[in-house]
Amino acid sequence: MELGKDLKKENFYILEVIVQKLLFNILSLVFSSQHNVLFQNNSETLATFSLPAGLAYPVQIPAGVTLQTASGQLYKVNVPVVVTQAPVGQQPATQAMQKVTEWREASAPQPTAIPPNPIAPHEVETSSVPAQSVTQPKTILPSSKEAIVILLGQLLPFYKLDFSEFTTVMFLLAIHSQLDLGYSQFSDIVQLDGPAGNSDLEEEEEVPLEENDFLGIINAEAMKALQEGNESSDGNSISSSSDGEGADELDPLNSGDDVIEQDIPDLFDTDNVIVCQYDKIHRSKNRWKFHLKDGVMCYGGRDYVFSKAVGEAEW
Amino acid sequence: MAYQLYRNTTLGNSLQESLDELIQTQQITPQLALQVLLQFDKAINTALANRVRNRVNFRGSLNTYRFCDNVWTFVLNDVEFREVTELVKVDKVKIVACDGKSDSSCSAADVLLCFCASALFFF
Repeated sequence: MELGKDLKKENFYILEVIVQKLLFNILSLVFSSQHNVLFQNNSETLATFSLPAGLAYPVQIPAGVTLQTASGQLYKVNVPVVVTQAPVGQQPATQAMQKVTEWREASAPQPTAIPPNPIAPHEVETSSVPAQSVTQPKTILPSSKEAIVILLGQLLPFYKLDFSEFTTVMFLLAIHSQLDLGYSQFSDIVQLDGPAGNSDLEEEEEVPLEENDFLGIINAEAMKALQEGNESSDGNSISSSSDGEGADELDPLNSGDDVIEQDIPDLFDTDNVIVCQYDKIHRSKNRWKFHLKDGVMCYGGRDYVFSKAVGEAEW
Repeated sequence: MAYQLYRNTTLGNSLQESLDELIQTQQITPQLALQVLLQFDKAINTALANRVRNRVNFRGSLNTYRFCDNVWTFVLNDVEFREVTELVKVDKVKIVACDGKSDSSCSAADVLLCFCASALFFF
């Protein structure tokens, strides 16, 4: 998958502008409900935007992308974004946004540090550029701080902004994504933890490190949600095979352990038992001497008693 | 309180099995069975101390030894038990010995430990 390596990073700032608008819109909607931004609910379309032509889709944008609006506001998208291409005029993919309203409520009580600049959403001109839809992981983070950012990321594709803005927004998102990370062939969330490629910004390295936990969750859930249809059969076969292999691996291991374990029970499981009291137990190097008394011996199916017993043994 | 060590002898096991049968048929209560076993402990300890006067010698090789909670546990191999009257050879024998010194007080914990130690090795 190509991310437009020939794009210049000068457009990065424009991209940042756009995303800042998006973030602010989301936040404003959360707290004031003054903007006519619709949350998609399995049927409605939140927003559409356009991407510049020439990009090879699907486009994967890693998490931690910092975007700045024209007004200077900085927005940080802490979720990986995947932009997939849809036919012209098609409504944005009716992504299941069941959790959006929940996020809204979860993040509502939490204040944000974004300066309140009124930015109204604009209509999208999709005449010349095919509408794009962004697929994103559907994960709710426990912390409200993250919830807001995730909310932004989730609602990012559904905002209606200027064509000029969003053409460069996603464009820059595409470029800003680290090309050196080596995106895998699947069009899903990119896993940023682990050994990452050359990163231009430190944020992208720090964010994945900090968010390794929920990134894993995002990846897991995204894999499930987005690849259900395609990999359901494959996943089942793989899981079953893995389970089978695991079971097979366990048996040899257990058998090895059983050999050792059997010795110990057998060692102590004997019919010849002497229950008694000891007067003195003496040891000299490996020579043991026993002075026992008042004992009952059971061996050969017969019981013997003694008042005193003296024995020697070498260990 | 006498050691419950001797409940794991042939005599003690037979007594416990009989008591369990009586409890199953509800002829006696479990409390009564417990009292019977306690009386058995006292009786066997007294009998062994007073009514037994023989002496045994034995020799063998020590396989394992364990000393935990004042209870010695040995496993000997190829042991010869020599008494005045007879000689017995066994391949493997386990010895469970509680503290028999008269100085040490026989607490309930020691009794329980001896009983558990002896019972544990039978399973």
